[in-house]
Amino acid sequence: MNNSFIIAGREYADNARTKGFWINLLMFPIILVAMIKIPQFLEEKAIPTRDYILIDQSMELGEVVELAIERQYAAKVAEALGVYYLENAKGGAISEIDLEQMPSGGLESMMDDFLEQDPSALDSLLEPGAIDTAVAMMKFGLVDDAPEFELPRRPFARVSVPTSIISTSELVDINSDEIIARLRPYLLGDKFLTADENKLFAVIIIPPSAPTQIKRGPAGMVQQFDEKLGVQFWARNLADMKLSRSIASALNEHLHTNEYLRLGVNPEIVSEVKSTRLLFTSFDPSKDVGEEKVSMADTIRQFAPLGFVYLMWIAIFTVVNMLLNNTIEEKSNRIIEVLLSSATPWEIMSGKLLGIAGVGATMMSGWVLSMVGLLMYMAGPQVEWAATLLEVLSNSGLLPLFGLYFLAGYLTYSGLFLAIGSLCNTIKDAQNFMGTATVILMVPLMTMVFVARDPNGTLAQVLTWIPLYTPFVMMNRAAADPPAFDMWGSAILMLVTIVTMLWISSRIFRIGILRTGQPPKLVELFKSVMTSLKNQ
Amino acid sequence: MTALIVNNLVKRYGDFTAVSDLSFEVPKGSIYGFLGPNGAGKTTTIRMILDIVKPSSGEITILGASTAMDVRNRIGYLPEEKGLYKKMKAWAVIAYFARLKGMNSNTAKSRAYELLERYGLGDFANAKVETLSKGMAQKVQVLASIAHNPDFVILDEPFSGLDPSNQQVMEQVISDLNSDGTTIIFSTHIMSHAERICDRILLIASAKKVFDGTVQQAKDLLPPRVRVSGDFSAEQLCVLPSVNSCYLDEDELLSVDIADGCSPQRLMSECFTAQLSLESFEFRQPDLHDVFLHLVGEEAKVATLR
Repeated sequence: MNNSFIIAGREYADNARTKGFWINLLMFPIILVAMIKIPQFLEEKAIPTRDYILIDQSMELGEVVELAIERQYAAKVAEALGVYYLENAKGGAISEIDLEQMPSGGLESMMDDFLEQDPSALDSLLEPGAIDTAVAMMKFGLVDDAPEFELPRRPFARVSVPTSIISTSELVDINSDEIIARLRPYLLGDKFLTADENKLFAVIIIPPSAPTQIKRGPAGMVQQFDEKLGVQFWARNLADMKLSRSIASALNEHLHTNEYLRLGVNPEIVSEVKSTRLLFTSFDPSKDVGEEKVSMADTIRQFAPLGFVYLMWIAIFTVVNMLLNNTIEEKSNRIIEVLLSSATPWEIMSGKLLGIAGVGATMMSGWVLSMVGLLMYMAGPQVEWAATLLEVLSNSGLLPLFGLYFLAGYLTYSGLFLAIGSLCNTIKDAQNFMGTATVILMVPLMTMVFVARDPNGTLAQVLTWIPLYTPFVMMNRAAADPPAFDMWGSAILMLVTIVTMLWISSRIFRIGILRTGQPPKLVELFKSVMTSLKNQ
Repeated sequence: MTALIVNNLVKRYGDFTAVSDLSFEVPKGSIYGFLGPNGAGKTTTIRMILDIVKPSSGEITILGASTAMDVRNRIGYLPEEKGLYKKMKAWAVIAYFARLKGMNSNTAKSRAYELLERYGLGDFANAKVETLSKGMAQKVQVLASIAHNPDFVILDEPFSGLDPSNQQVMEQVISDLNSDGTTIIFSTHIMSHAERICDRILLIASAKKVFDGTVQQAKDLLPPRVRVSGDFSAEQLCVLPSVNSCYLDEDELLSVDIADGCSPQRLMSECFTAQLSLESFEFRQPDLHDVFLHLVGEEAKVATLR
């Protein structure tokens, strides 16, 4: 047995010492951070402030459009204020739990409103000096060395039409076609309105007739309209729909208010009515009385296994590939002969399994640790889920199950890959086997979302009893408390599979390891396994 | 004392017989040469001795044990096809294989450095195997097979792939080992090595034993060899009473097979009597090369063509 450990040690060192292994280990948290941070960064920095021109000939809707854009900015400021507060609050508040413990009641509720983007709180920010007041109010709750609050950049900025292009007198009744004809080079980026060469992002034209261009009746009803009479949004970039959407919805809201007034309904009553909701709560029948309410943690708990299955899949196939490569290396170098003169095939095999399992365990714990570390670091208002996920991970018992199912999956597949490795002389030979193998192995990955959606349904049930998929599917189902029969039955099945798998592959390993030339055909392989049985 | 006894060893792969009814003994402390053409069954025999391959029938007793697995820590093995872990350092490879043979890791490490130093690879101890030349890597592998001070060493084609000076180092390794009392089996088809180093040889051809004995006994199988040259034809030489047959060999000399009961002296006087003008007359004991060709010449060709 001592030899197994020596072999395991070498196998571990050989793989764990490669640059690729450490890059892999380090890349994981980096990619994780990048996935969260890069879109944030792009949102903040990469998209420039976009200039737009608003020409309002209706003398009514222009204000509405501007207010919509201002509101959007206010929402951004509110969020920034909330984040700023949480980051710099006394006592290092990292989640809203701390917020609730803050004594200053007014401040607390204001911050809550900001973070939840309450419309009236946002409107209050629009008033002049409101932001400064909010910052000043916050000061008392902040640590002494808190940095100054930085206003977020405006996503959109209104620029006025230079009088050299359209004179002020023309502006009142100039035809929209004519406006565009004059502004087209600016919209296309051939000319610039400002010295800093900021492109003109959009031109919004509200013709005098716009307020009366109202579509009525069900969608799809054929109506004759001249689009040029309504509000026109001209922009070359069609992918960024933020501006056009928020303008459209603000316009419609304005229209609705007008309509209510026309029909003699008080718009305030309407908005009051709109804010009413019937109480609707999701409950989980499997939980204790009084705690049946489904929380965010429960939802995360339902979906966490998906992440685990994915992690498991990647980890298992990374390490069994190492196993395959090492075996083929030893075989093609004929090192295996020296090994066989020093250790029994079983010692070699168990040593390799053990060593690579160590590599896998290192990799997984590296991943999990860096993930937990990251979650702890990031846990804050923007990523409320991170804190909850962390809590779920530590309390749900999924982590130990993950360890067990990983081990089971590893042992099942390692035997298979070791056998393949022992039959092939070159990586190329192995790839022939791998093609078929990969298709079979993709199944748990392709079905994982469906299994998670219905963890005790037919698909999950069927896949559970296919030995190659059992560890993955059971991990997939882990959060849904599968029936005891499935739990224990699958455990026994996995055990039997592992023993059978390792037993068969130790046979194949013995036969294959000294073989040279073409990998054997399946029939041939079966025969030689049977012969070796008879000889026992 | 006998280090290895092989009794009626047979190995069949389906219809193909790789080793057929092989028996021999290797005395303790001897250097034993395994000779034979390619495909004769040398490597298979060695694998069976090492218990890497199970024999179809027959018995092997090595260092008093019925299977090499029981005494594997006392055996060293260098396989025919050489290869090492490419990413490992030279010393680490040697130490690794020594540890697999039961040496503790500190001893194994110092032993590895000591061996590399002794055989001229001290500067490469910390180099990765993939950076070594083929010859150096092979030396490392040889050292790896003997690092654990084995009592019995089996070297399969230790000289192949080595340049003449490294072949000399290899011979040095073998004689160093032997002077420590280690029993050595090595296989080769370079007869000059076998002749210089071996106490005894085993000649296998087409799975069967052809000869087993000392080098001198092997040479005695062939009559002394006479080679002549001069201004005469093979026919003129063949009519002489002492000449059984003669032929023009690869050196453009006439190689003479002397008739039974005749001696080179008598041939020479017959040449004078027949007034054949001799330019050279060479008389020498046959070497192993001659014996090899004599014993397995035809089969060797067949085996090579197969």
